[in-house]
Amino acid sequence: MTIFLYELKMYRKSIIIWCSSISGMMFMFMAIYPSFAADASLMEMMLANYPEEFLKAFGMAGNLSLSSVLGYFGFTFVYIQLCLAIQSANYGFHFLSVEERELTADFLMSKPVSRRKIFISKFMAAFAALSITNIVVGLVSLASVAVFNDGNEWKAVNIVVLISSTVFFQLFFVSIGMLISVSVKKIRSVLAFSMSLSFGLYILNAMRGIFGGELLGIITPFYHFEPGYILEFGRYNIEKSVISFAIIFVSIVISWVLYSRRNIHSL
Amino acid sequence: MNIIKRELRSHLRSLLIWCGSIIALIAIMMSEYEAFYDNPEMSTVLDAMPKALMVAFSMAGANLTTLSGFVSMASVYFYIMLGIFAVIIGSSIISKEERDKTAEFFLTLPVSRERVLFGKLIAAIINCILVNAVTAASLIVCAARYKPDHEFFSFMGLLMLALFILQLIFLSVGMFLAAILKRYKQSGYYSIAILFGAYIISITIGLTDKVDFLKYATPFKYFEAQYLLNHGELEVKYLIISAVIIAAGLFGTFYIYPKRDLHI
Repeated sequence: MTIFLYELKMYRKSIIIWCSSISGMMFMFMAIYPSFAADASLMEMMLANYPEEFLKAFGMAGNLSLSSVLGYFGFTFVYIQLCLAIQSANYGFHFLSVEERELTADFLMSKPVSRRKIFISKFMAAFAALSITNIVVGLVSLASVAVFNDGNEWKAVNIVVLISSTVFFQLFFVSIGMLISVSVKKIRSVLAFSMSLSFGLYILNAMRGIFGGELLGIITPFYHFEPGYILEFGRYNIEKSVISFAIIFVSIVISWVLYSRRNIHSL
Repeated sequence: MNIIKRELRSHLRSLLIWCGSIIALIAIMMSEYEAFYDNPEMSTVLDAMPKALMVAFSMAGANLTTLSGFVSMASVYFYIMLGIFAVIIGSSIISKEERDKTAEFFLTLPVSRERVLFGKLIAAIINCILVNAVTAASLIVCAARYKPDHEFFSFMGLLMLALFILQLIFLSVGMFLAAILKRYKQSGYYSIAILFGAYIISITIGLTDKVDFLKYATPFKYFEAQYLLNHGELEVKYLIISAVIIAAGLFGTFYIYPKRDLHI
């Protein structure tokens, strides 16, 4: 418990900064919605004259339209996911590697606590920190959609389902970060790793969006938990998210094993 | 010279990982072009599209059926990737001495801090050029089987020049932040925040036309691939802005870092 509380205290500043910047970003995006909706609905009237096959070829049929409030929200939520991915990957790469990097491992390891206990406390602290962020993001999402919906209808339930999916989304990045940080000899720069992981997977999904092709999206949680899908149907894309669940489970188990027998370098 | 060699060697592994991922990404991306290449059905569909719609989807002048058009649609992601690479190498190449507690050692060597900085700058620029070259080479190699025309190669030349300028901008920003900030951890976070902020601004500009003036604030909007494709040149005003940012960043680095207290 001591380790858990201490770790959580170390996250405090980071949580505050992330929560406030993500909330600010979301409010900014949603504040644009009313003016965006006017343009987008004009275009949709134009699109309505085209045959459906034609629209399908461009991926503009069947999905939530961009002029609807949830369609727009889903479109901007991808960038919120990107922020959450960076934050989670930061924590994931950080919490098991920090002691060795900052030469505090000797101190921690000499305490009468087992490696497993350290692992669990640190993991739970990171998870708690991310969950606090997630709750704030969820509340801000609901609030900003409620304020800037421009009189359009929207389903709060779908947003709640989307926010529940970000728990797994965050876990994906934490567990991968954890796994890599215990597999390599030393993590020198957390940011270099976390940025490459989060932006890399984001770019894979963005390219899949433009050019099509399932191959590009197969390993990226940005595709497994695509906001557009969840907001439209109000449920997870089960076939896709199973891949994420499996990756999370495997990474946590392997990191647990590797960390408990890791050769930790001391001074 | 020793410093350059030493820095190149210490960044070799991350350089190789980056190059490997870029090659893999481009290979997968270009294999998707199969669906568009030489597909008469797709080009009739695109020809039938009204001009206004093409403008709205920012596909005017560049449709996915031409090789250059296809690459230009993905260009913003190349900008981001190489931008991240440049900003990380810029801030870490300076701050790593403090992080790895080697600052004390290099200060005892008989070289001035300016010399050290200069060596590091050259090493970072060489790294950027290598990543840039790998990006260009893998794009051209993957495009070869689609019979690229002359236009494609001149577009690629421009795109790589634009990418290189963007890398220099982020490199100088990263180095500048690492030079002025007292704690090594901060420099990484600040430079990433700047890069991410620039990206979000460029997204916001796409959503509404009320914040057009912000386009000067984000390097991702300086050399848009659509413009390169349609005009065949880089815009002079943005070249000037980029030159100013790069010069200011490097000047600040070389002015402040030699005088600064190092955290040991």
